[in-house]
Amino acid sequence: MDKKNIHNIIALANELRWKIGDDFHDNLAEGIYADAAEIVEDAIIDKNRDRKERLDNKIDRIVTSRVWGFPIMFSILALVLWITIKGANYPSAFLADILLGDVRPMLKSFAASLNFPWWLSGFLIDGVYLAVAWVIAVMLPPMAIFFPLFTLLEDFGYLPRVAFNLDYLFKKSGAHGKQALTMSMGFGCNAAGVVATRIIDSPRERLIAIITNNFSLCNGRWPTQILLATIFIGAVVPASLSSIVSLGAVFGIAVLGIFFMFFVSWALSKTLLKGEVSTFNLELPPYRPPDFWRTIYTSIIDRTLIVLWRAIVFAAPAGAVIWLISNLYIGEQSIAAWMIHYLDGFGFLIGLNGVILLAYIVAIPANEIVIPTILMLTVLVTGLNVGEGAGVMFELDSVNDTASVLKAGGWTLLTAINVMLFSLLHNPCSTTIYTIYKETKSMKWTVLASILPVIIGFVVTFVVAQLWRIFVN
Amino acid sequence: MYFCVNRKGKYLKFIMYSYNPTYALLIFIVVSMVLFLLFRPNRGLFWKIRSVYRVDDKIVIEDILKQLYHSEDKQIGINFLVNALGYRDSIIISGIDKMIDGNLVYFEGEYLKLTEEGHDYALKIVRVHRLWERYLAEKTGFDKSEWHGIAEQKEHETDDEEAGKLASSLGNPIFDPHGDPIPTISGKIAELDSIPLSGLKVGDIGKIINIDDNPEIIYKQILAENIHIGSQIKVLENNSTRVTFYSEGEEYRLAPIVAANIKVSIVNTPEEILEDNVIRLTGLKPDEKAIIEGISKESRGDSRRRLLDLGFVKGAEISIDLVNPFGEPTAYFVKGTTIALRDDQARKILIKKD
Amino acid sequence: MDVLPHSNCENCEHFNADGLKKLGVDTTDFDYIVALAGNPNTGKSTVFNALTGLRQHTGNWPGKTVTRAEGAFQYNEKKYKLVDLPGTYSLLSTSEDEEVARNFILFGKPDVTVIVVDANRLERNLNLVLQILEITDKAVLCLNLMDEAKRNNIEINIRSLAKDLGIPVVPASARYKEGIPELIQTISDVASGKIICKPHRIKNIPKDIEEAVRILSDKIKKEFPNIPNSRWIAFRLLEGDNQIIEALESGVFV
Repeated sequence: MDKKNIHNIIALANELRWKIGDDFHDNLAEGIYADAAEIVEDAIIDKNRDRKERLDNKIDRIVTSRVWGFPIMFSILALVLWITIKGANYPSAFLADILLGDVRPMLKSFAASLNFPWWLSGFLIDGVYLAVAWVIAVMLPPMAIFFPLFTLLEDFGYLPRVAFNLDYLFKKSGAHGKQALTMSMGFGCNAAGVVATRIIDSPRERLIAIITNNFSLCNGRWPTQILLATIFIGAVVPASLSSIVSLGAVFGIAVLGIFFMFFVSWALSKTLLKGEVSTFNLELPPYRPPDFWRTIYTSIIDRTLIVLWRAIVFAAPAGAVIWLISNLYIGEQSIAAWMIHYLDGFGFLIGLNGVILLAYIVAIPANEIVIPTILMLTVLVTGLNVGEGAGVMFELDSVNDTASVLKAGGWTLLTAINVMLFSLLHNPCSTTIYTIYKETKSMKWTVLASILPVIIGFVVTFVVAQLWRIFVN
Repeated sequence: MYFCVNRKGKYLKFIMYSYNPTYALLIFIVVSMVLFLLFRPNRGLFWKIRSVYRVDDKIVIEDILKQLYHSEDKQIGINFLVNALGYRDSIIISGIDKMIDGNLVYFEGEYLKLTEEGHDYALKIVRVHRLWERYLAEKTGFDKSEWHGIAEQKEHETDDEEAGKLASSLGNPIFDPHGDPIPTISGKIAELDSIPLSGLKVGDIGKIINIDDNPEIIYKQILAENIHIGSQIKVLENNSTRVTFYSEGEEYRLAPIVAANIKVSIVNTPEEILEDNVIRLTGLKPDEKAIIEGISKESRGDSRRRLLDLGFVKGAEISIDLVNPFGEPTAYFVKGTTIALRDDQARKILIKKD
Repeated sequence: MDVLPHSNCENCEHFNADGLKKLGVDTTDFDYIVALAGNPNTGKSTVFNALTGLRQHTGNWPGKTVTRAEGAFQYNEKKYKLVDLPGTYSLLSTSEDEEVARNFILFGKPDVTVIVVDANRLERNLNLVLQILEITDKAVLCLNLMDEAKRNNIEINIRSLAKDLGIPVVPASARYKEGIPELIQTISDVASGKIICKPHRIKNIPKDIEEAVRILSDKIKKEFPNIPNSRWIAFRLLEGDNQIIEALESGVFV
């Protein structure tokens, strides 16, 4: 091979390119399609090209119609979420019974029989094991229900129609219609939602979808919202209305999340992401009956277990940290107490408190363990006689007991409202952050996606706290 | 004061005793407003200060060269430059001094003229500017209205080698996205045989080959009308108050001053004249069928390639498959598949109705 | 070239069912590399799963398989490594999926490329097929979703299609495992050289471009006599594909 000849070839190519002009790609594409048309003319004997006769088109006319399109869409999404939240309760309780109720005492007595020092069994069982077991018990069931349902809809071919119906709204905020789906997926799990953005083939819109996915209230946060709404918001209205009002409050938070998703998408597309390439096209593939069992199998393997595994990997060290900060002492106080002490001032300013902020810092692996951590830390600083000791996360079966612990920790209605807001508007969990990095391969976008929601969260809770203190009490 | 959980401590005490929600909110509002004024996109004070700070001799000299190049037939004095470029007199004058030292310009009476070297230098900047515009159009998602401004900045920061790389990565293009020719390295520049749209007679048929992006106000007005480079037009009315013309299934009315910024080449050969039933895809109605005539040159880069790959090629049969509840996007049936496009894409696809 | 009518033929005489072993992800020590290409939504992943016994997710979405997946099967003592390429409409653009697919077919030099197409939307799918046939001459067309085509009253003349394309065409319904034995047999025949393909080359190109391509590809052929796809490289050079220019400069094609 002679380098000079190669350079000649490349130079020749440049010269020829100049000669044949700008239309090369057009001409080639047209040429290929012309060949294709000739071949098809030869090979296809009976052309039945009238799609209007087919079943696909009839279904499409219903699911994209002005009258039925939106009701069908929202009922399906609501149904999927309802089945997930309701249906996950029983298996979650069952798993918690086994992993926390049966296995943990067994491990404890096993450790005792081996004469483990208290700190080692505390660190391993109350710290690492407890966090991992907790994450499995609360994360696995909802994901194992949500993902197969979602995947069935996907395989049937319904989801592209949702993207088609909603594209106009997303276009207004500089995003892609398919973001409707990654957003819905985010209601199940943000990490999975971020992976799902692969279906968006336009670089700018995909980044927007990745960065804003966290504004979808995920499975790990629904229970927090429902718990706090029931305890604090349901309580300020007459008992007959309490369940409907607290449900409305949770729904309101989810809608607020959607609003922020649109707003941030719009702002990003107008500023930071202005120069990224943007293309749009959306294929509406034919409907196909999904292969039921294979879908169930693959969605559990591909989505649920992968996400769960990532969560476990992050939960284990977090469990260790939670236990350590509660049991290591500097001077006469534990590290946790010191941190709470220092965070209290800022916490107060934004209508939260040090316990809540610390819980959000250490429970970064999974939103599911935020409430148990808050309860544990509250007991730690108030010295209440509930729970299982320093560094051991717990939850209480009765809502009333939970309420009394929180109120002893100084919670007011404002605290609850701000925790609900902050639960929506804070950094993504570490699993999601890691996934964002994997998908974007960019530190810049990962950092932005992690920090932006917390900043918004601080601003919103701050403003709400001040307004509340000015106008309400 | 407000009840706050937990121990005392100096810092906490400070917040508790000096805290007042109203003040806190006011401080917050003031701080956010200041930040907004400083950093808001484009018009923020920070960006303005930075751009003033960044002005150096090179930029001033290059801007003067460009100004002289673009108005070579006019008489340009220092006052004209001060007005046109918006720099202070002293900056312009010191720039001109340096240019005379560098043998780029000379005075003819009180008017400035380009020397041969100055002309070459100016041509090089024009080349880099137009290459950047082409790049922005093909490879990024910036909006049409932003290309000029960004290229204005980039032209000063790009050296010869980078410009060469830019050109070859774009396939050594001949025209920029507004239809202006890009000079080659050797200074060769394609000839444009065009007249302003306002100069056409009623009944004339022409093809838009250039839309001037300067001044910006007029350019934005033309963009808002969705007038495309490469479109064929037929003049229906031309008088001192307005120019009316037909193009791709729609009628446009422009003020003569606006129309003057659109350059057209007259189409004489009958084969080249498109039939009246060639319209934009947005003009297709449900239950109608049409044949694709081609994709307008306004569709560029990845977006254009994707459309071609999906089968939006000349000769393909197309019809509307589904209408969106919001009216946009529309799903088209082409080559056996249903594909949804937004209106701004469909507007760039030309079809011929049966 | 003889193409079997589509039937479930685990026990017909051509196919040696005992010789087949699905190896899942075990891709060590293979004899042949098989690339699996196709448009999105043609059931490509289903074909992949049917061949390897794996259960890769198959979504009804364009562009689902973003990274390449690998699997393997063994047939008549030979091991085949199967690489599932991202589903794309074309190989001419700059998107990441297309780059992965294009580079694998060009630089990975697969022994056989199986192109999975949707029998219902043949014309659109041929766009990709014709491009692949410019790059490689060892290809098999898997005409998938024949069951749906039958329901839609679409009849395809397999013989004429195979003749026009110059490669073997295997009708299949991968979901129901129909046509998979024939596909395996055909892959093995192409890999071993029993079937020689004479792939279709794009004809409807304007004269000036055809001329430019000819000049350029002659030059390339002179420099790299063994190259089978000088025309494709000429296309890419005219398109200004920097990756190809770099590859030429670094001598990957020798």
